[in-house]
Amino acid sequence: MLGASLYVIVCSARNRLRMRLRRLREPRYLAGAVVGAAYLYFSFFGRLRGARSDRARAARARRRASPLGELPGLAVAAPVLGGMALLAAAALSWMAPFESGLLEFSEAETQFLLTAPITRRQLLLHRLLRSQIGMLFGAVIFGITVPSSSGYRRLSVGIATWLLLVTWKIYFAGVSLTKARMRAESGAPRAAAFVPAAIVVTAAALVAAALLRAFYIAPPAGLAGAAALVAGAAEQPVIRIVLWPFIALVRPLFAASTSGYVPAIAAALAVTAAVTVWMLRSDDAFHLAVDAAARRRSRRAPGRRPVSYRTRAEGWTLAPSGRPETAFAWKALMQTLRVFDRREAVRAVVVLTALTLITVATGREGPAALLGGFSMAAAGFAILMAPQVVRIDMRQDLEHLELLKTWPVRAASVVRGQLLWPTALITAFAWTMIAIAVALSGTLVPNVAWLSRVAAGVAVLILAPALVVAQLTVHNAVALMFPAWVPLGVQRARGVDAMGQRIILLGGTWLLLIVMAIPAALAGGLFWLAAARFFGTLMLMPAAAIAAVVIAIEVVAVTEALGPVYDRLDILAVERPE
Amino acid sequence: MAIAVEHLARTYSSDTGSLTAVADLSFEVRGGEIVGLIGPNGAGKTTTLRALAGILRPTSGRVFIDGHDIVADPLEAKRRLAFMPDEPHLFEYLTVTEHLRLVARLFGVADIDRRSAALLEELELRGKERSLPGELSRGMRQKVVIACGLVRDATTLLFDEPLTGLDPLGIRRMRETIVARGRAGAAILLSSHLLHLVEEICTRVIIMDRGQKIADGTFEELRSRVDLAEAGSNLEQIFLSVTGNNRAGQP
Repeated sequence: MLGASLYVIVCSARNRLRMRLRRLREPRYLAGAVVGAAYLYFSFFGRLRGARSDRARAARARRRASPLGELPGLAVAAPVLGGMALLAAAALSWMAPFESGLLEFSEAETQFLLTAPITRRQLLLHRLLRSQIGMLFGAVIFGITVPSSSGYRRLSVGIATWLLLVTWKIYFAGVSLTKARMRAESGAPRAAAFVPAAIVVTAAALVAAALLRAFYIAPPAGLAGAAALVAGAAEQPVIRIVLWPFIALVRPLFAASTSGYVPAIAAALAVTAAVTVWMLRSDDAFHLAVDAAARRRSRRAPGRRPVSYRTRAEGWTLAPSGRPETAFAWKALMQTLRVFDRREAVRAVVVLTALTLITVATGREGPAALLGGFSMAAAGFAILMAPQVVRIDMRQDLEHLELLKTWPVRAASVVRGQLLWPTALITAFAWTMIAIAVALSGTLVPNVAWLSRVAAGVAVLILAPALVVAQLTVHNAVALMFPAWVPLGVQRARGVDAMGQRIILLGGTWLLLIVMAIPAALAGGLFWLAAARFFGTLMLMPAAAIAAVVIAIEVVAVTEALGPVYDRLDILAVERPE
Repeated sequence: MAIAVEHLARTYSSDTGSLTAVADLSFEVRGGEIVGLIGPNGAGKTTTLRALAGILRPTSGRVFIDGHDIVADPLEAKRRLAFMPDEPHLFEYLTVTEHLRLVARLFGVADIDRRSAALLEELELRGKERSLPGELSRGMRQKVVIACGLVRDATTLLFDEPLTGLDPLGIRRMRETIVARGRAGAAILLSSHLLHLVEEICTRVIIMDRGQKIADGTFEELRSRVDLAEAGSNLEQIFLSVTGNNRAGQP
């Protein structure tokens, strides 16, 4: 079976590499590969060279060998802290609703391997082998990013990282298999299935209790003190025993010398072996766990993250007649409502409003400034970044292009329809945040007059939807003009070339945005310069309105221009998952 | 003429070269005709139907739906057209009823509630009105796609493997539905590998191979062709003979 597994892995890797090399014949992938390679070079290899420079050597000489050398207390406590974090994650994994990806066999594996005369343990080992490429890549990247000039140090950290990732993967598969046994068995076998969970959770509880006691008796002053306290708590005999396997797994990451590294890695290997044996011996419920994983996978289309939609009372029934744009907005609204719980959104708004009112009424400047600052940052993020993240528009609907293309709707209306709901959604969020920021602005900028603060706030309120729709227009224009460059839905192409494409796309999008914003900035700015000297900051509002109108005109013009682009768009030009 | 195809060609380009899926294809379908489009895998049937539906732009040639060019006048052409693809493409976040309402809105269908109720009954989707596509079987999703196509009074119906995923009762219902629409005057172009279905419900057959039309006519016309006289009396024998596979299965 080992030979067959290696054959599958090698053939898959070779064919994937061939495919990626072949697609470099296309200029877009070649350009992406050049940019991606340059990015990688400057991010990693440039960093390696930088680390070897005299300046870097001198800087490191001032530090200790450990990456956490600046904080001696932390450096000593690092393996303990890492072990504790690992223990917490191990305990949580029994309660979390997630299942191991190791048990998710692909369609081809299901067809060829599950029907073959292969034991469950061999199948598990096959999946483990298949997952190695990703984990090795992760370990290599981590090793490269270690701030050290020593190749040995990078290699040792890389190996330690790989061992940690492998062990965690095996442990999590064991958890999923045992959970399946818990669900399937009854009586004594079921009780036996609970034993590993009980051991880990008890261990976590013991450590938590020891920490709480230590912190309660002598509250630490500062980070180093806290680290020392944690290290001290871990020295208690019982805690040392329960933490040992977890600390053993992370200790090689922090071993600064070969004499420390060799025994550390041996201990980590022993833990990995023990976990592997436990996982393989927990394979009684293998088929139940694999069935559950297959059901989860079948519920999501290829290349998608598991998005679950739930039907709820719509609240808005689509009228049988009206503008097609509103039909698109309704469609996108339904999508949003079926992912997010409206009650939670209402609850969040109520909590935010209550917090705002309380902080304003009680005059507590600290919390008010905190909430106001947060709201201002959130508004800024919403206006400037959310259009890139919220993709409930053509970027997602390219997946349904085959259906959209059969609809008798003007192309420009399709594009405008796609922009409506994300604009409304982001604007609503931004307006809420701006309103809170304005209400609490007295604590943020106390030197600015009340009227000026309100005028600036209203100006941003006016400008927000225009800026949002302008960005969405650019993103959708790019999606229509270069559909092959746009990741479809939530899937992401892999490889250096695909990464380079995304970098080029991001740069191009920002450039287009700047071009689109210049006329609006000029119009609004000129008005402001002319009017502000007579009427003061109040003129921010009409200046924003002028800029918003200019942007709106640009958006209409761009969407009309995109009409023929949409008409000419070939569904085969859209990028498909690998 | 409900469907008129003039010298249609479609070429796919990729990093490994180019492939002509359809070459110089011409045919017509009148209102009330049910035409079967058959051919081996890779013959160009789906490409032809997608070009007719306005999904793929022809590399050359023209397609008219009720006299409207699908490229030059797409809105009027698409208003008269219903395309039922072999793979059910649905919005995973809209319910069955919402799909029908969306189609009704976009195609300007009046009286959608009455129409959708009748269709859901006809296609045995009653009780699934508030289901999301993810909660439906493949056959059910196929029925939703067909319901979306039939909910409007399209004069031209394009079916690509309409019976895929349907159960025996569903297949019979679908057959009856297609025939009824044809009798009501719709021009129907249907692609299928189920030759007995094509033989049973189609009034004419177009056989494609390697992107080209190699035969076109009623069964009588095909049987009476000199080169096919020896082929046999049923569509399967004619199909195998025309596509050069008549020796398949022979000792």
